[in-house]
Amino acid sequence: MNRLCAENLSVRLGGNMVVAQANLALEAGQLIALVGPNGAGKTTLVRALAGLIPADGVVTVDGQKLATLTAAERARKIAYLPQGHSFHWPVTAEAIVALGRYPHADLFSGLSAADSDAVCRAMIATGTDALAQRIVTTLSGGERARVALARALATEAPTLLADEPTASLDPRHQLVVMELLRHAARAGGTVLAIVHDLTLAARFADRVIVMERGHIVADGAPDDALSVRRMADVFGVEAVVVEIDGRRLPMAQRPI
Amino acid sequence: MTRAARNGFGLTLGLAALVVLLALASLMVGPARLSPGDTLAGLFSPDSPAGIIVREIRLPRTLLAVLIGGTLGLSGAALQGLLRNPLAEPALFGAPQAAAAAAACVIAFGLFGATSFAVPVAGIAGALVSIGGLVTIAGRRASLTVTMLAGLAFASFAGAMTALILNVAPNPYTALEIAFWLLGSLEDRSADHLLIAVPFFVASWILLGLNARAFRVLTLGEDAAASLGVAIDRVRLMVVIGVALGVGAAVAVAGSIGFVGLVAPHLVRRAVGSDPAKLCLPAALAGAALLTAADIAVRLVPAAIELKVGVVTALIGVPFFLLMIFSERGQLEGAPT
Repeated sequence: MNRLCAENLSVRLGGNMVVAQANLALEAGQLIALVGPNGAGKTTLVRALAGLIPADGVVTVDGQKLATLTAAERARKIAYLPQGHSFHWPVTAEAIVALGRYPHADLFSGLSAADSDAVCRAMIATGTDALAQRIVTTLSGGERARVALARALATEAPTLLADEPTASLDPRHQLVVMELLRHAARAGGTVLAIVHDLTLAARFADRVIVMERGHIVADGAPDDALSVRRMADVFGVEAVVVEIDGRRLPMAQRPI
Repeated sequence: MTRAARNGFGLTLGLAALVVLLALASLMVGPARLSPGDTLAGLFSPDSPAGIIVREIRLPRTLLAVLIGGTLGLSGAALQGLLRNPLAEPALFGAPQAAAAAAACVIAFGLFGATSFAVPVAGIAGALVSIGGLVTIAGRRASLTVTMLAGLAFASFAGAMTALILNVAPNPYTALEIAFWLLGSLEDRSADHLLIAVPFFVASWILLGLNARAFRVLTLGEDAAASLGVAIDRVRLMVVIGVALGVGAAVAVAGSIGFVGLVAPHLVRRAVGSDPAKLCLPAALAGAALLTAADIAVRLVPAAIELKVGVVTALIGVPFFLLMIFSERGQLEGAPT
């Protein structure tokens, strides 16, 4: 079932067409990697899908137009993890993750038992439960990244849009986070993640969308989307393909 | 309850008790020597001489100190929450400066003295005009940077207007009256001042209080907060208007009282924690306590001319502030901006 769809989605920023006529349909149960060189428009596309910036075209979520939903309804359906995960005040990691429950709360209630459970689950899944009482501004970059991901997961929205969730993580935590995203997808979620490490994308994603200069130039199985030819055309790198566990993984060798 | 939450709750109760005690003390201070017993008795007997002094002179002054201090403290906490920056203070968007300029104009060219009823009316009108201008020029969906730059322009313009009025004041006495009025004072304020300002204070508290939870979510930055359902544009508009109404009315009745809005949130942040939503009430109480204490101090210090409370708030507040900076250097430097 298609959960999040975009038809002829275009975004102009400062007179430049940053996303041009994008069409895509994200299915439930899949981890989809969005890749592309710097400046391809990946972040802008994701922000438009999340309803955070005005865009031409139509985005629908579960068949409803995104623009017709209230902010809270949208927030309950789509969780968004921005790039950079900055925290502006020195509060505890648990307090940050609890902010993910904001769309579920009403004006005067505190955290319900269901909210606390969701926060707990998200922190255990991301391995941040041991950091719960730590002040976020004292955490390392990788720890902060995982706390930010836990915050996005705590909403327990059916769709998760994550902008570079593996940036600034060490190799072990990159694998942990990708496995976590795949697990969230297997559990019925729709997960779209911007990933710069193409090997990691090919290894974990069910589907890869490639963007170049605002256009979606490939959308399909990792094998097809990240062929040696496309690595050369889009990313300007000479790649080799290695086969591990039956998956063909592209590895960038040298710039062309 | 976590430790910070328990500390915050205890501190809030303690501050509330402190505000009540200071307010009672404030009722007992003044040129007419009244014993604590006479003061309390006077509070409930409107027709006795003590009753007239306490109810018509000291009570409005005390209530104004509490309400203005509270409004300034809350405004500071709200702006620091909105801007995610501990340097934000209520004068940022120009409303207090505009209120001061309008009030100065009335004192200079009207037939009104500095304690006349016309001064607060003009001050509030000035604050409303500046906020209306700010929202119109910056636009309802303006970014924070545009809003702040436009606010800075309005503040500078209002400051220049005040300077111009002082410059062309009809006579030196008027200029001195304006200059003294600008220093901020609660002397000789009546129940009329209270009545004209209170609706604006209440509107300001509601507008700011409704957004407390949004400030908490803004800890994640504007993009993440928007994705969680916070209507950033509306929050920004409500806070700018809320601060303008409250602080504009405060300046209109009492002149410029600086520093309380900036320092009150800092004074309580260590005990309450940095959660911008939990900070609002304690910051308001700290502001109320600070201004009431300062207003008691100006009446106790023997001087030929009564000291202005706007002068004393900084004199009292700065040592606390420096002590706080000294003990929290590490955390302040470690905090990301």
